[in-house]
Amino acid sequence: MLSRRLALAALTLLAPGLALGHGPTRQKVTEKIAIDAPADVVWTVIKDFDALAKWHPAFEASPADKGNAEGSVRQLKLQGGGALTETLERYNAEGRSYSYRAKDGGALPVTNYTSTLTVSGEGNKSVVEWRGAFYRGFPNNDPPPDQNDEAAVRAVTGVYQAGLANLRRLVEKR
Amino acid sequence: MPHRPARLLRTLSAAIALGPALLASAAAAPYAYITNQGEHSVTVFDLAARKVTATVPVAQSPAGVVAVGRAGKVFVTAPGSNAVSVIDMRSQRVIDTLPAGAGAVGIDAAPDGTRVYVADWFGGRLLGFDTATHRETLRVAVGDAPAGVAVSADGRHVFVAERDNDLVAVIDVAAAAVVARVPTGSHPFALLLDAPRARLYALNVYSNSVSVIDVRDAARPQRLAVVEVGKAPYGAALADGGRRLYVTNQLDDSVSVIDPERLRLVQTLGGFAYPEGVASVGDRVLVVNWMDDNLMVLDAATGRPLQTVATGSNPRGFGAFIGEPAPR
Repeated sequence: MLSRRLALAALTLLAPGLALGHGPTRQKVTEKIAIDAPADVVWTVIKDFDALAKWHPAFEASPADKGNAEGSVRQLKLQGGGALTETLERYNAEGRSYSYRAKDGGALPVTNYTSTLTVSGEGNKSVVEWRGAFYRGFPNNDPPPDQNDEAAVRAVTGVYQAGLANLRRLVEKR
Repeated sequence: MPHRPARLLRTLSAAIALGPALLASAAAAPYAYITNQGEHSVTVFDLAARKVTATVPVAQSPAGVVAVGRAGKVFVTAPGSNAVSVIDMRSQRVIDTLPAGAGAVGIDAAPDGTRVYVADWFGGRLLGFDTATHRETLRVAVGDAPAGVAVSADGRHVFVAERDNDLVAVIDVAAAAVVARVPTGSHPFALLLDAPRARLYALNVYSNSVSVIDVRDAARPQRLAVVEVGKAPYGAALADGGRRLYVTNQLDDSVSVIDPERLRLVQTLGGFAYPEGVASVGDRVLVVNWMDDNLMVLDAATGRPLQTVATGSNPRGFGAFIGEPAPR
């Protein structure tokens, strides 16, 4: 009994040290690409929330249950396995922009992930900006290397760069 | 060009003699202290000179901030170091670093400037510190994920958003105890006291609204109204003589302006980038854009943007970040 009490006391003493983790801090990624095409042309390719698989080489399928209505949920299937569930949070056709949020626990090593894709432009030139805000996958201190801040930033950067590069290829060869 | 040591010396001594006068004039300006979470520093923006005058290295991952003019100090929470960094407003240097629980973010000061209160996020406590001696004065257990902090006008009560309980706790400072709790919307983070109206505003990140709480009797807080704002409201400030309440909406890249008399949304301003901290002084409102690493200066009466100022990376500015040192 006494030893159990001692053990509990020891645990209580230890607990603050264990729980002391300062949590992770929010990270961000912004990637932009210039495309030789009018903004409306680029927007046509990406404007549908369920069109991701048509222009992003990393995704095999991207069906969405309510199209471009806010609250629409898309189920992403990655080439070679893995999945992501994302909800459309904001859709602005006039501003050629939409924002979505990913459910935690998907294929990317991130949590609390939100992202916005925007096309702007002038004349025959446009710029596509893709930006995201997120926390790393591991919620406590001392994350494993594949779940730390750098891994999260690297993964999201990779998704954005691959998607934007392919989008430019698709649009410019039209 | 020949050296003229004598002349150089004269110039130097003249500059030294002028020193105090220069410092005094510089000290008259209000400053904004923006926490740069991505690079462990605080950007000091001089509102009168309209430029950044210093970048102060602080402890890790700074987020919360309160500028306490009466103490001539700025208190910055640094959750990455489990600490509070203390900046002297006259020298713009860190003069102390205090251990402050685990992962503290929210911070506010008593109106008389003698105390600051810090929400100890992982420790689930509210901590008080003497702004002169930096000694801990208060330690009270509160609910889960204590976030924003606000102090009552008489300094006797402290309000803390218990984010994961959807509550605001009222702490009686003298009794060192929680004396009341009031429900909010979902996921309350920031708190702001409206002293003239004896009201507390709680920003509900998940329900995209502001809970308005009557705190005429701080120990018996009453829910008064709920005002809808944009997505993920994160920071609030009263401006234009208390006629306009500015609320930043992180996930809408917008700022909602509420008429606090009628408790109605009167304006939605666009063109921000994941806006977080907001504070006001005189006819200016300052909004921190976390995504774009900058600070936007707005005209308080109209919301018109006047200036954009670069900050450090991932700026938060969570709290009452504007202040100027009171005359000694």
